Amino acid sequence: MVQVVLPDLGRGTLTNHEGFYRMTGLPLGSVLVEYRFIGYEPVQRKILVEGGENELNVVLSETRYGLNEAVVSAESQADVMLTRSTRSIAVLDTRELEDLRGQTLGGMLAELPGVTTLTTGPSISKPVIRGLHSQRIVVVNAGVQQEGQQWGGEHAPEIDPFSAGRVEVIRGAAGVEYGVGAIGGVVRIEPEELPFEEPVTGSVSANAFSNNRHGALSAAVGRGQGQHWAWRVQGSARKAGDSRTPDHVIGNSGFQETDLAGTLGWRHGQSGFRLHASHFGTTLGLFSGAHIGNFDDLVRAIERGEPAVDFEFTYDIDAPKQEIRHDLVSLSAHTGLPTGDWIEVQAGFQSNRRAEFDAHRRFGDPDKDPAFSLDLRTWSLDTRVRQRPRSNVTGNVGASVTTQGNKNGESGFLIPNFRSTTVSAFAHEMWVTDRLTIDTGIRYDYRWQRAFPKENLSSGPFVRRTTTYSDVSAVLGIIWRPLDHWSFASNLGRAWRPPGINELYNFGVHHGTAQFESGNPDLRKERSLNFDATLRHVSQRLTLEFSAYRNAMNGFIFLFPESEPRVTIRGTFPAFRYVQRDVVLRGLDGFVDAQLVGRLRGHASASIVRGRETDTDLDLIDMPSDRIRTGLEFEMRERSWLSDMSLHADVEAVARQDRFPEGVDFAPPPDGYTLVHVGASGTWTRGSVPVTFSLDINNLFDVSYRDYLSRFRYFIDDPGRNVSVRMYIPFGPDRNGNNT
Amino acid sequence: MKYLDTRIFVLPLLFIVLLAGCDSTDPDPEGVGEEELITRLAVTLSANGQSVTYEANDPDGDGTNLQIETMVLQSGTTYSGSIAVFDDVNGEDVGEEIADEDDEHQFFFIPGGPAAARLSVVATDQDENGLPVGLSFQLTVAGGGSGTASLQIILSHFDDAPKDGVNRSDETDIDVTFPVTIQ
Repeated sequence: MVQVVLPDLGRGTLTNHEGFYRMTGLPLGSVLVEYRFIGYEPVQRKILVEGGENELNVVLSETRYGLNEAVVSAESQADVMLTRSTRSIAVLDTRELEDLRGQTLGGMLAELPGVTTLTTGPSISKPVIRGLHSQRIVVVNAGVQQEGQQWGGEHAPEIDPFSAGRVEVIRGAAGVEYGVGAIGGVVRIEPEELPFEEPVTGSVSANAFSNNRHGALSAAVGRGQGQHWAWRVQGSARKAGDSRTPDHVIGNSGFQETDLAGTLGWRHGQSGFRLHASHFGTTLGLFSGAHIGNFDDLVRAIERGEPAVDFEFTYDIDAPKQEIRHDLVSLSAHTGLPTGDWIEVQAGFQSNRRAEFDAHRRFGDPDKDPAFSLDLRTWSLDTRVRQRPRSNVTGNVGASVTTQGNKNGESGFLIPNFRSTTVSAFAHEMWVTDRLTIDTGIRYDYRWQRAFPKENLSSGPFVRRTTTYSDVSAVLGIIWRPLDHWSFASNLGRAWRPPGINELYNFGVHHGTAQFESGNPDLRKERSLNFDATLRHVSQRLTLEFSAYRNAMNGFIFLFPESEPRVTIRGTFPAFRYVQRDVVLRGLDGFVDAQLVGRLRGHASASIVRGRETDTDLDLIDMPSDRIRTGLEFEMRERSWLSDMSLHADVEAVARQDRFPEGVDFAPPPDGYTLVHVGASGTWTRGSVPVTFSLDINNLFDVSYRDYLSRFRYFIDDPGRNVSVRMYIPFGPDRNGNNT
Repeated sequence: MKYLDTRIFVLPLLFIVLLAGCDSTDPDPEGVGEEELITRLAVTLSANGQSVTYEANDPDGDGTNLQIETMVLQSGTTYSGSIAVFDDVNGEDVGEEIADEDDEHQFFFIPGGPAAARLSVVATDQDENGLPVGLSFQLTVAGGGSGTASLQIILSHFDDAPKDGVNRSDETDIDVTFPVTIQ
């Protein structure tokens, strides 16, 4: 069941049990063939296809470092898609990432069906997978689970999007592999592989965006030192000023970011280690017109429908703003066991420091003294044994410990200090044949948590609240491939999470929406049972993937309005309290990409989510609107100095969200909207240096719109037309293996 | 050759031990929670040589124990008024800061209730631009016997929006309504 892939042609097949394979109808000439099997080093061979029969035989060696999770090792080659996973998975590979470089992580992920974003102005976007976000999504960066202040809707993932060599999104519950919190899905960001046994390699990427005069630069360099060592260093910087809607400048919406990452690897025989360190630092402005005092102010701002002040463009960032620093250090080591299996140990340390600055402070300088600051430190230790394939069965078992502490700074008190420790153990096995794969696993997590809230949430002395949570996650999935070009995958997964510290103990006003939020110390854990079914087809001219899902959640935690508003000396605020209900989310998402005629390709993707409370049949608030995106791409003729040149045009249509609970929101959902995006990209080779460039115009017609999941939709439109220019220059051995 | 090199795991284990060390998350009761608040608004009204202070007191700043006193006013009387604002949690006189930044603040007085038309308020102080502030004001109660009314006092903060002396901003710092009994 070795995979045989022709990456350049986007074709492939599987060998039978004896290892024989056959492909017909290949074009004459030189073809790159890649052989892959879980647990083995992939092998690439170039052959010259002549008329008649051509024979090519290879032997795979068992030197590949372990399995890449339950997912078949690597890559986005269309063919691998068919047997990629029993889950619904979407991937952004190197090529697709190049086209999106410079965007925020959330913006990049929103290209994928089933993924939308929750935005707080142009500077902050959080991925929403099938209607779920924040604490219901796990983000894994360079193999370590990202631990930031996940609970806030305006807290974006603290990850440099330039550092990604590959991004993978698992839609739906994945509790067995990712543990607590993987209810809605998982985002995995993988850095590029270390360049073992290669000379100096690297790249430079430069990007400019017109709407907010945003410039982003990134550079990476790495090399292999002798046989055993390799390293890579990557850095990026960006600066953006205020964005603008078609009619207004979004005052104080600029941001800046500087990131640095380094990796050092050593390998010898079957052993190796990898040391990875990264620093992420950003300052984000928040639209100052969205900073309001009380509910009466909110009502007047909504009635006005546009900002009270005409802002001027600036790069300056004033309060309200956020300053976030995230540092990660991880060290992983692996070695082969005499049984042929692999054992791997990974230790990680993360420090997340967040300071939020309020618009005005009476006792200090609003730009220097944060309204509140939080310092979260997380230590993790993961051990895993990756089994070598034994008569069609492969998999991995593991255990991990994570401990973290969160401390408030001197000012402000939004969520209490806390400590928590989580212990987990899991086993995950796959049975693989050429037509059928069965995937099953189980996991147990136990969490101990001690928080220090005030006695009655709002006031009184600090008290100690110790709680423990535990539960079992499980998965059962199949991939059935009845025909060469079609596969059907289905997955039943269970996941859970304990209530978040904010959901338990939060108490206070949320500026921007003027709602008074109260935690609920009696909350229990939230559990999910997710079923999804995915149909995939890959042939030379047509690729499609279509998923349907149903995610039933027991004890879904969300803010529910209280009957009495909260009256304070600052005025009146609608009061909300965290409650638990049983809810069901269901939906459809998918995409199709087809070669229409000649060099013209067409593609379309769509996402639909429905969320309801089971008992009351009420719709859930803040579910993404239905959306569809269709486009055409024209591939230009290749020239010696110009390759991969293409032109594309896309239409993105988003419906109005008509399903929402009555009487909860402060304004009706905004109207639907349709945006047109056009662009061109290509690779210009000058001498031996390939320069990949692109020009894109997003929102070509400068349409005014507000997305339902924009947290500023009460105050101002989303940004208007944006012209972006990107350039990417790799150096070192290029993709074809030639040295430049 | 295959060999089991467990020495490789010394590295990550050592790493986690070095980094984990000791770390306490116990809160410091003195240092945490110094959130800036407005907890008390004191309105002093003087007429005929007598002055009375009416308070709106929200000791935690979150409305849990908000108490607002009822103003008792004499029909056909003009009062000179002054406002003091405090943060009793942190022991701060917020009124002083408002006076320091009077070009960014303005009090608005909105009468309500059945006898609303009999109450009128005019600020008697000005900021450096000649616009009203309202820390001191004049309250006139028109004659007509007993009645009930209310007086809403709003403090607007002008950060982005320019202060024009007429319109409120979207940043309200104080918004309380005192019940009023006219005798």
